[in-house]
Amino acid sequence: MATIFEQINEMGLKQALVTKTDEVVERITAGMNISDIRGALRGDEPRRPNPRLRPHADGFWFHIRPSFYHTEVTHIYPTFRLGWLSTFMMVWETITGILLMIFYTPSPLIAYGDMWNILSNVPLGQLMRNMHRLGAEVMVLVVALHMLRTFITGSYKKPRQFTWATGVILLTLTALLSFSGYLLPWDQLAYWALTVFLSGADAAPAPPAVNQTVLFILQGGPALGAGGLLRWYLFHVLLMPLLLGVFFFVHYYKVILHGLSLPPGREEIGEDTAKRVPKDERTYFTPDILTSELMWTALITLFLIAGSLWFWDAPLETHADPVVTPLHVVAPWYLSWSQGWLKLAPKTIVVGFIPLLLVAFIVMPYFEVGKSRRYADRRLGLSVSFLFIAFMLVSNWMGTPEFRVESSPEREVSQGVLPQEGPSVLKGVPYEHLVLGTYVPGQVIDDNPHLTRALAVFYNSMYRQSCKLGDGNPDLPYDWYPCKEEVLENGEIRYGNHFTDNAMPNPYAELRITQEQDNMVKLTLYYEVVNPQKPDEFLILSDEAVGYRHEDSLYEEECQFLNKNC
Amino acid sequence: MQVKVVIGTVAFMLTMIVLGYAALREPTRLEDFAGAAHGRSVEQGAYLYVNNCATCHGIDGTATSGEENGCRDANGDPNCLGLPLNNYFLLCGNPPRRSIDLGWEGTTENLIKKTVAAGRGAIMPAWSSDFGGPMRPDQVQNVTNYVLNWGSEELCAEEPITFPWPEFGPGAAEAFQSLTDPVEVVAGDPELGAQVYLSNGCNACHGLPDGTAAATVGPSLAEIATNGAERIAGYSAQDYIYESILAPNAFISPECPNGPCTSPSLMPGTFALTFSRNPQDMANLLAYLMGDAYTHP
Repeated sequence: MATIFEQINEMGLKQALVTKTDEVVERITAGMNISDIRGALRGDEPRRPNPRLRPHADGFWFHIRPSFYHTEVTHIYPTFRLGWLSTFMMVWETITGILLMIFYTPSPLIAYGDMWNILSNVPLGQLMRNMHRLGAEVMVLVVALHMLRTFITGSYKKPRQFTWATGVILLTLTALLSFSGYLLPWDQLAYWALTVFLSGADAAPAPPAVNQTVLFILQGGPALGAGGLLRWYLFHVLLMPLLLGVFFFVHYYKVILHGLSLPPGREEIGEDTAKRVPKDERTYFTPDILTSELMWTALITLFLIAGSLWFWDAPLETHADPVVTPLHVVAPWYLSWSQGWLKLAPKTIVVGFIPLLLVAFIVMPYFEVGKSRRYADRRLGLSVSFLFIAFMLVSNWMGTPEFRVESSPEREVSQGVLPQEGPSVLKGVPYEHLVLGTYVPGQVIDDNPHLTRALAVFYNSMYRQSCKLGDGNPDLPYDWYPCKEEVLENGEIRYGNHFTDNAMPNPYAELRITQEQDNMVKLTLYYEVVNPQKPDEFLILSDEAVGYRHEDSLYEEECQFLNKNC
Repeated sequence: MQVKVVIGTVAFMLTMIVLGYAALREPTRLEDFAGAAHGRSVEQGAYLYVNNCATCHGIDGTATSGEENGCRDANGDPNCLGLPLNNYFLLCGNPPRRSIDLGWEGTTENLIKKTVAAGRGAIMPAWSSDFGGPMRPDQVQNVTNYVLNWGSEELCAEEPITFPWPEFGPGAAEAFQSLTDPVEVVAGDPELGAQVYLSNGCNACHGLPDGTAAATVGPSLAEIATNGAERIAGYSAQDYIYESILAPNAFISPECPNGPCTSPSLMPGTFALTFSRNPQDMANLLAYLMGDAYTHP
């Protein structure tokens, strides 16, 4: 090939530069020059031999991808793009995760401060953190749906059993990755979610010495502390991504090896024609699939960035405190089913059952060997799967605070109005609207919709936890549900209502807003319930539910996000 | 395919616009969140303060004894054992008086943080887990932020009036000891005076007045009951001691252990403030230093 100087002599400067640029582009794309790319973008027919196939043969990145797909699998159905989307989320999480790693130190002394540093000192730090957290939850959802789709279209069947098996492992790793990241902010949410999770290890069906050792290893000591945080950090950024990468490539290799399975109705029963694609049913990677993937990349990126900016905010509670357990500790939604199961069966059985279930999923295709992938032939299998999904959804609901073990009624009310952790409607009232004074539930304050709304929530919480005896309480004359009386074993009477067995009969409650410091108010929820059996005794007398609200603490900003319970 | 190119391009442009918007609002957001980080720290500090500190320093931080302020002493009586924290002399001025008293050269924040973390004196315990206390470092910081948050413009607007010490001159000690308002000054107790002498560290420079420890920096006080009267014409020994403690630079003593005493005096000028908290300490100190020659009107 001529050097650039010879070319300039031969065809002049402009033409030489054009030719050279064309050459460079052809080398970078491993086979396509500028006019090939332009032709592909315009939708022209390729020249012969087809240059669009050369990147797949000669280039690194494209050799991983097939050069064409069966047209039938390139529509939304049957894949719903879920496998691709899982991969996209994996890349997304890696990028945002690496950015967060720059600003994070896995030490109990520093980690929580780092969170606030990311939020208050790192440009776009909040966005980065929200993108990573939102991405993590989207990824769990997408991977689970991918598995569900694979089951429904029967794509786990021979010859794709091993692809399915690696897929189950990938789902497990995804959930574990998401959960191991949960601990890293080292706030109360993180600490107690993981503590509950780890207490499972202690209940595993194995000799106590084994359980204790496993727990010790997972906690990095007799209790979750500096060693544990470092360990879970290393799980999160090193071990699990590594495993995920290994299984991902095996999984993807198998997907390409066997081809994407066609829609079940498209092939004869017992046949697998995914790899035998007639010429007229091919959709080439360049330009069609590539364009489609770039479009989806742009759309999902927009969705995730806009979602992280306006609709979804990663939670951050107060600093982890091993000696203070918040009320109603819950697992993240994608593990909530396990908490639900604990209400159905003893812990040891639940903890033993989960790995068995995973193994059952992994080996399922080797036992379920029905030849047909068609829906009409798989009524039993599909019914069982939908029953399982229904069971998981119910279990998940049973794991939420909705299905909780109730504490005392006034604490439940306080938890709804002024929880120890996280935002609430009362904390979300802008500081200037927290007018000093004493207010009763449901009171309407003129020109103060924020406080009025908080008091309405106070009323609603009271409504669920109160009942009316006789004419009610003259100081708080609301029409609660009439009390149902229940005589306990010790002879005392417990009062219930429509919602709960343990309600406050004729309660009095108020919210006190007092000045604590020049720029901080103190919010006190006060309850007074007289024992109807002994009118000179209090059943409940409390001014314990105290919250402080600093002028700058910005709960109102937090409350603008859809996922915050305000 | 063209449709996909258009959708993708539009989505990409929208993403860039969204990111541009996020970048533009970022400086304001960072500032707001810095405020939130501080505000929430103060809120957490409030819980810690009420549960741990209010027993000695009072709920409102003024250490004013009384039932409603939540203080308890060892007998369960409502006496505040701690120093006032919601206080001009801790939080206002640059540096605040308390820093000067203690010879602290760092920031007020660090003074409070160090005191909370490591304790101070015989009564204030160490709170940080680093020194055997129950609080984590972040909690020490939260309490510190809470205490600092009392330092409002209102608190710092005006220096509070301290004790109205009678003016120096002949008969000043007598005038002081005859006061009945705002406190009644009774005859000094030399034993309590000895405690005041030691707890304020006078012995570090002046040794002990009974001569069992020699003075090292400041003039010896062994003969002060007699030679104090010879320093300034018209002053009794008590008048001289009274003035020298409250205003060390008013007269420089001629003889120090290392030659003539230096001017300005090396003695801290903060005792007028220190003894304002309990002016009786001054009478006790006079009784201790004067020994048998002590007189009370």
